[in-house]
Amino acid sequence: MIRQLLSLYRPGYPTVLVYMLQTTEYQVGPYLEWLHRTKDFSDVTKRRTLDPTKRARLLLLALRVGITLQILAGLLLIYLGLKHHVAGGAAFGAALIIVYPFAWAYLIVLPLLAGRQLSAAPQERRQIAASEKIFADHAGVKIAVAGSYGKTTMKELLKTVLGEGLDVTATPDNKNVSSSHARFAAGLTGREDVLIIEYGEGAPGDVAGFAANTHPTHAVITGLAPAHLDKYPSLKAAGEDIFSVTDYLKGKNVYVSGDSPSIKPFLKETYHIFDAKGALGWKVEAAKTDLAGTDLTLKKGTQTLNFHSGLIGSYKFGYLAFVAALAMELGLTPKQVEAGMAKTTPFEHRMQPYRLNGANIVDDTYNGNLEGIRAGTALLKELAAKRKIYVTPGLVDQGEENERVHHEVGKLIATAQPDLVVLMKNSVTGYIQKGLKEGGFKGELRVEENPMDFYANLSHFVAAGDLVVMQNDWTDNYA
Amino acid sequence: METIAVIFGGRSAEHDVSIVTALAAIIKPLELTKKYRVEAVYVAKDGTWYWDEKLKDIRMFSSGEIQDFLHRSHPASVQFDGGMTLVKASGIAGRKQSRKIDLVFPAMHGTYGEDGSLMGLLDMAGIPYVGCGTSASAVAMDKVLAKEVAFANNIPVSKFLAFTKADLERQPGEAVKNIENSLSYPLFVKPAHLGSSIGISQVKDATELRHGLEVAAHYDDKVIVEEAVPNLVEVTLPIMGNDRPQPAMLEQPMTQPEDFFDFETKYLQGGKKGKGKAGTKGAQGYSKIPAEIPEEVYVRAEATGVAIYKAFGCSGIARVDMLIDEKTKRVYFNEVNPLPGGLYAHNWNRAGVSNVELVQKLVGFAKERHSQRQALTTTFSTNYLQQF
Repeated sequence: MIRQLLSLYRPGYPTVLVYMLQTTEYQVGPYLEWLHRTKDFSDVTKRRTLDPTKRARLLLLALRVGITLQILAGLLLIYLGLKHHVAGGAAFGAALIIVYPFAWAYLIVLPLLAGRQLSAAPQERRQIAASEKIFADHAGVKIAVAGSYGKTTMKELLKTVLGEGLDVTATPDNKNVSSSHARFAAGLTGREDVLIIEYGEGAPGDVAGFAANTHPTHAVITGLAPAHLDKYPSLKAAGEDIFSVTDYLKGKNVYVSGDSPSIKPFLKETYHIFDAKGALGWKVEAAKTDLAGTDLTLKKGTQTLNFHSGLIGSYKFGYLAFVAALAMELGLTPKQVEAGMAKTTPFEHRMQPYRLNGANIVDDTYNGNLEGIRAGTALLKELAAKRKIYVTPGLVDQGEENERVHHEVGKLIATAQPDLVVLMKNSVTGYIQKGLKEGGFKGELRVEENPMDFYANLSHFVAAGDLVVMQNDWTDNYA
Repeated sequence: METIAVIFGGRSAEHDVSIVTALAAIIKPLELTKKYRVEAVYVAKDGTWYWDEKLKDIRMFSSGEIQDFLHRSHPASVQFDGGMTLVKASGIAGRKQSRKIDLVFPAMHGTYGEDGSLMGLLDMAGIPYVGCGTSASAVAMDKVLAKEVAFANNIPVSKFLAFTKADLERQPGEAVKNIENSLSYPLFVKPAHLGSSIGISQVKDATELRHGLEVAAHYDDKVIVEEAVPNLVEVTLPIMGNDRPQPAMLEQPMTQPEDFFDFETKYLQGGKKGKGKAGTKGAQGYSKIPAEIPEEVYVRAEATGVAIYKAFGCSGIARVDMLIDEKTKRVYFNEVNPLPGGLYAHNWNRAGVSNVELVQKLVGFAKERHSQRQALTTTFSTNYLQQF
C-alpha cells in the first residue's frame, strides 16, 4: 500500500504517464481505463520503455513544467501560511503538493484533446481526403486484406510472392487504419502493378470507410474470430463490418478463407473460397509441414505447382494455396511462384520457430485470437517432441465472450496434451484453468505472476527435445 | 517456502569460477522455480562470509564494486543451532538479522569448498546439502588418491608419480631423476588438489619438467606427474543421482593431442586455444556434444564414467573426465570433479534437462541422501563412563 502510494511521487512518474499514453496510442479512453486500473506506478513499464518521439517529449515537458509549478505554488502557499499567517495557506499548499500526481494524470489529457481537435484531426482528415483521389486514380490491382486474424501473414505472403513478377507495394507493419492508408498513398508513384492494403477493423463502420477511401479491386478475407469485442457488440457485428468490403466490390473478386468456422454465415455464392483443400481451381495434392517449413503440391488440370515455404503449420495450407493460385491468375509463371514462395519466411513473433538450448520454440506472441490458438495448439499436437510446453496469457478484448472464449482456449490447449502449461496470471486465468480441467488436461500447470520473468529466462526452463509454443503476450496496458 | 543458502566464492584459486557457477547456474534457476527462498552467501578471498541480496548480481563482481561492498558490509556468521542459521548485523541500530537455512547448495570449487571441507562442516551441522559428500569430495579432489581408488577398482589409469611440496623443495633434482627413470615424455604436471586446469603444465623435457613442478608446487602442497595418453581423445561425462546415477552426454573438448586446456583457455578465451575445428558451443564454447567417437567406445566410456561415480561414492552431481587412446580404444580414468563448473548445465540441456529441472533434481537428491543418513544409527549406549 505504502509502496503503491509512493510510486505516485517517484521522479519517473511523469514518464510513466506519457508511456501509458503512448502505449494506448494517445487514446484517452483506453489511457484512463489503464490509469484507473493501475495501483503501483513503479511496475507499469515491463515490456518496453518510452519511445522519445516529438509528441512524447512535448507531453513530458508539459507534465514536468506543470508539476514543478504546482509544487512551487504549494511551497509558496505553505511559506505564506506559516510565516505571514495567510489564512489556509499552509493547508492549501500542502494539499496542492499532495494532489499533484492525481491532478496531472488527468490534466495531461487536455493538451492531447486540444491538439487532436485543433490540429491533428483536421490535418488527418485532409490527408485522408487527398489519399482517396490517389487510390481512385491508381490503375493497379488494389487488394484489400481484411479479417480478425491472419491479415499480416496474408499481406506479406502476397507481397513476397507477387513481387517475384510484379511491382508490388503494401501498407507497412500493422499500419492498417485510414490515417496510415493516407500516409501509404502519399508515398505511391502511381506505376505500381499491385497495392496491398491491410484493413484493421476496430469499431463498427471502419471497414466500409476504408473501402470507400481506398477503392479496392480485390478483397481477401482471412478469417473471423472473437476480437475487439469491447467495441463490437458481437462476433456477428464484427463479421458484418469485415464483410462490408464485399459490398463495395459488389461480390466480385472476393476471396474468403473457408478454414475459418465463424465465417460460414457470411458466405455468398459469388465469393471464391480457399482452404487447405485448394484455391481458385487448384487442388492441394500433397502437403507437409514441420518446423523447417511447409511443402505443398498444387494441381489444376495438367498444371502442377511444387513449392516450399518457410511458414509453418497446417492452417497455412489454405493461405499458401490461395496466394499461389492468385499469383498464377495475375500472370506469374510457375517458376516465379515457386521462387517467391521459397522466399517466404516466418514473420516476427508469428509462428516463428527458433532454437534455444536445443529446444524448439515457436514464437506466436503476436497472435491474439481464438483461431490462432486453435492453429497453435494443433501445431503442438501434430509435431513430435520429448516434452511439449504451451505458454499463453489468454486473449484480450473478448468483451462479453470473455469467459466462453477462454473456456474454449483451455479446452483447445488440453487437446494438444502438453506436458506443461504456463499461464500468465491475469483476469482470464481462471477461465482457462476451468477449460483445461474440462478438457481432461493431465500435465503440469504453472501460473506465472510475472510474465517477463518467464519470457526473459526462457532459456533456464527449456532443454533439448522440448517443443514450446508461446501464443500471445499482453502488452503493458492489458497486463 | 524452504530456504536454500548458495555458498560461493571461497579461498580457492577457482574463486571467480565459483561466482559464475553460483549466480548463473544455481541461484537464477532456483529462484525461477518459485519454490524456494534463495540466500546468497559469499565467501571472500580472505575467508570472510557475507550474506546479502546484492550478492546475487553478477555486475557487483564484474564491475569490481564488490570491494566497496565488502568494506561497507558487516560479515555474516553461521549459527549451528540444531541446523544452520545465517546471522548478520542489519546496520539499523546494530540489530541482528537471521535466517534459518533448510538446505545448502555449495557452489565452491577447489580448496575448502569442493574438497570436502565445507561438506564436513555441513555434515556436522546436520543440514542437507547438494552434491558429493565429504569423503567422495576429498578423494575426488586429490588427484593422487583418486587415481589409486580408480586403479583399485580395475579402471585403467595412466602411469603417474606423486610428490609433496616439501620433497620438491628439498631435492628437486632427485624428483626429476625419479620421474625420468619411471615415466616417459610427454608428461603432465598438476597440482594434486586444484581443478579448472589451474597450474597444469604439459612438459616434453627436463627443463620444462622442472618449471612445471615449480608452478604446480606454487599452488599446492602435493604434485602429480603423469604420462600422457597417446592418440588422445579427451572426454568428460556429467552424472547426477545418488544410488542410480544418470549420465548426461559424453562431451569432447576440442583439443589436439599437443594441446590441453588451461584455465585461460577454458574460461577466458572461450576455448579458442585448441586447434580443432569449431564445434558445438558449450558453456565455454569449446566442445562437441555428443563426443564424436565410435559408438562402442562411447558406450564403454559412459559405463566407465558411471562405474567411477559409484566407486568414489559420489552423490548428487559430479563430472568424470576420461582419456581415450583412439588406436587401442582404451578408456582411462583422468579425474572426478565433485562440482562441475556451471553444473555443466549446457551439457544437461543437450541431454534434455533444463537448468530449472537440474537444480530441482539436485535439491531432491540432497534431501533423499539426507533422509537416508538420518535413518542411520550413529550413537549407541554403553556403560563405559560408569567405570570412571
